Amino acid sequence: MRSLLFVLICVIAISHSEIAQRLQRDDSSSRRSPIIYWTQGVESAEALKKAGIEQICVSPDKVDSWRAAGLNAIPASPPEIEQREKLLVPGIARRPNIAGATSRPWIDANGWRFIRNPSGKFYYELPAGKAALAAAEAFVYNGEAILKIDQADLEESGKMLNFLRSLPQENLPPIADIAIIDDGSPSTGEVMNLLSRRNLLFRIVKTQSPRALVNIKFGTKEYPASAAADPSAFAQKLRRRITDERRTLRIYGNEVVICRLTGDGSRARLQLLNYSGREIDGMRVRLRGNYGKPELKIFGYPNSEPDDYLVAGGATEFTVPKMRSYAMLELSRGITKKTK
Amino acid sequence: MERRDFVKLLAAAPIAPGVRSEKPRQIPRHKIVTNYKPAAVPGMPGPYPGKVIKVKSAKCLSENGEQIDAGVVREMMERGMLALTGEKKLVDAWRRFIKPDDVVGIKVNAGGRPWVISSPPVVAEVVRNLMEIGVKPQQIYIYERFQNQLNEANYAPHLPEGVNIFAAEGANRRLDNSNYDPLTYVESDLFGEEDTRSNMIRLISEKLTKIINIPNIKDHGATGATGCLKNIAYGGFSNVARTHFQGVSHTYWFVGTLASVEPIRSRTVLQIMDGLRGVWHAGPFAETLKYVFYPRQMLFGTDPVAIDRLLLDIIDDERKARGASSIWDRSEKYLKIDDVRARDADPDVNIIIREPGHVKYASTLGLGVADLNRIRVKEIEV
Repeated sequence: MRSLLFVLICVIAISHSEIAQRLQRDDSSSRRSPIIYWTQGVESAEALKKAGIEQICVSPDKVDSWRAAGLNAIPASPPEIEQREKLLVPGIARRPNIAGATSRPWIDANGWRFIRNPSGKFYYELPAGKAALAAAEAFVYNGEAILKIDQADLEESGKMLNFLRSLPQENLPPIADIAIIDDGSPSTGEVMNLLSRRNLLFRIVKTQSPRALVNIKFGTKEYPASAAADPSAFAQKLRRRITDERRTLRIYGNEVVICRLTGDGSRARLQLLNYSGREIDGMRVRLRGNYGKPELKIFGYPNSEPDDYLVAGGATEFTVPKMRSYAMLELSRGITKKTK
Repeated sequence: MERRDFVKLLAAAPIAPGVRSEKPRQIPRHKIVTNYKPAAVPGMPGPYPGKVIKVKSAKCLSENGEQIDAGVVREMMERGMLALTGEKKLVDAWRRFIKPDDVVGIKVNAGGRPWVISSPPVVAEVVRNLMEIGVKPQQIYIYERFQNQLNEANYAPHLPEGVNIFAAEGANRRLDNSNYDPLTYVESDLFGEEDTRSNMIRLISEKLTKIINIPNIKDHGATGATGCLKNIAYGGFSNVARTHFQGVSHTYWFVGTLASVEPIRSRTVLQIMDGLRGVWHAGPFAETLKYVFYPRQMLFGTDPVAIDRLLLDIIDDERKARGASSIWDRSEKYLKIDDVRARDADPDVNIIIREPGHVKYASTLGLGVADLNRIRVKEIEV
């Protein structure tokens, strides 16, 4: 019995390692691409190919037949999938008890989990209509994620995965106003969640960061553990402390988009995830610093251009036209003249 | 043109004489951003500050109030416009405000559908008069924020071909901002919301040269009453519902502040309040006849504050006559936060503390006259 268990563990470990390797984008990049876990029979191979999906995770006993059908099949047993951290279905949660004319939409998002655990292994179990957003979410945070999708989402998933594949590959370091020394506690995780939802940019550090506007370590005199008891209030308190004027990033026109900003001294990449499930038309972005007109890569809207670009008062503003679930914006620093 | 930024941290406005139990309050820090300069004589309060023409007619509605007599409405409007301007001919009265080459916006109110909206016969009569003085139908825009409300109001069959009907958004979902001007806005953090800007409709800032405002006589749970000021302000900017939340309302200062932003202030040249019908409770909506009443009157002027000051009394008097609490009552005994059902069932219940003081506050911004002793009302019976 023991030896059987040992063999099983070995199989799972090997299979884990194979997935980990395959989830690397390619040899020259550390960027990962999310992968679909497919439970349909091999007769669905043509549908996958038609959707542009070339790589899937399948049950280990089906790997050979899928490979014979021409797909890049990676073994993943149900126990192995379940060992992974299950993520929330991304989107707007219905919270009727707190609904009101001005109440903020409650977003279920997973970005903070990826940030907190960059070497983690995750999986989504997704109802219809959510696969494209989940794929984009995992991609934005470079998370190693497997997506169990509804068949109805196959075409849209294929489009999204192909779109993601077409994007720049290299990773840039995060740009953040807040540095958090993570104590690993659930309450600190919830604070990260609330910061993400408000687009209060944070990164996790080992020691205090002189570049951050605010450094947080819970359990200190300044931030006792009790400070995280109400994460929403705490996030709001941090926002007030930083002030909106000094925030690196502001979004206007909706409260359903979560952003990830990365960059170095010369450029920045802003990735936008729309959790509403509806198209957004006209979202205003304000970035501190002087940037040139951004290059937009918007899923479903090729050749988009930013509207009403403006550099003034030490900040760059522009409007992102129509977007559905995901957009990547590439910006270069260097515009110093006041522009309208 | 230079970008103008104003950052204001204002102390409380003085209390209006005769305004009951109004406490001084802090006005939140806010920023007005606009590239537009005021006209030499801004449309609000315009050439007739403090002057209001009230035209009443028992015949404007059928006995049960359901049918509007367009002929009587036409006569009411003619008498009102002549009395306001002192002109002998109607075309001359309209020429006081509009030139043939103007691009004219007609700000209707479709929120109180189906019973208390800017009535199609009133809107049609405004359009007819504009065309009489040479404005082409293609230069006329009937506008409102939400398309779904305009669809229900259904103005098109009442209007000549070519008149534009425009909505800034499909519905109140806050995902469609393409029709709002990203460079003209009021920014303020009211309740910790992330989206702190309210942007002016592009049509107003970029296309219209004149605006005619057609509000109704309506109660409003957050402002006490919604008339000229709120129709032009909250109907001209995005993201305004954020001003009332969990029983608290920032409408006291926000309504007037929005109305004062250029170019809306300069371009809004005429106020025609359609008070044929009204709603005395549970406004601004009027989905049933339960709280609908029939003032059978229209108010004309260029001063939105003066008209709205009268409006407050019209609503409050109607509520008193029905035994309901005053719009000035700030006690919490009538407050049931966010309980719309209770509000709809009981005319004493409110879901937010009303802010009728917003009218007086607007006067401090130079938008008009709020002092009843300085408001001159001429009454006409048709």
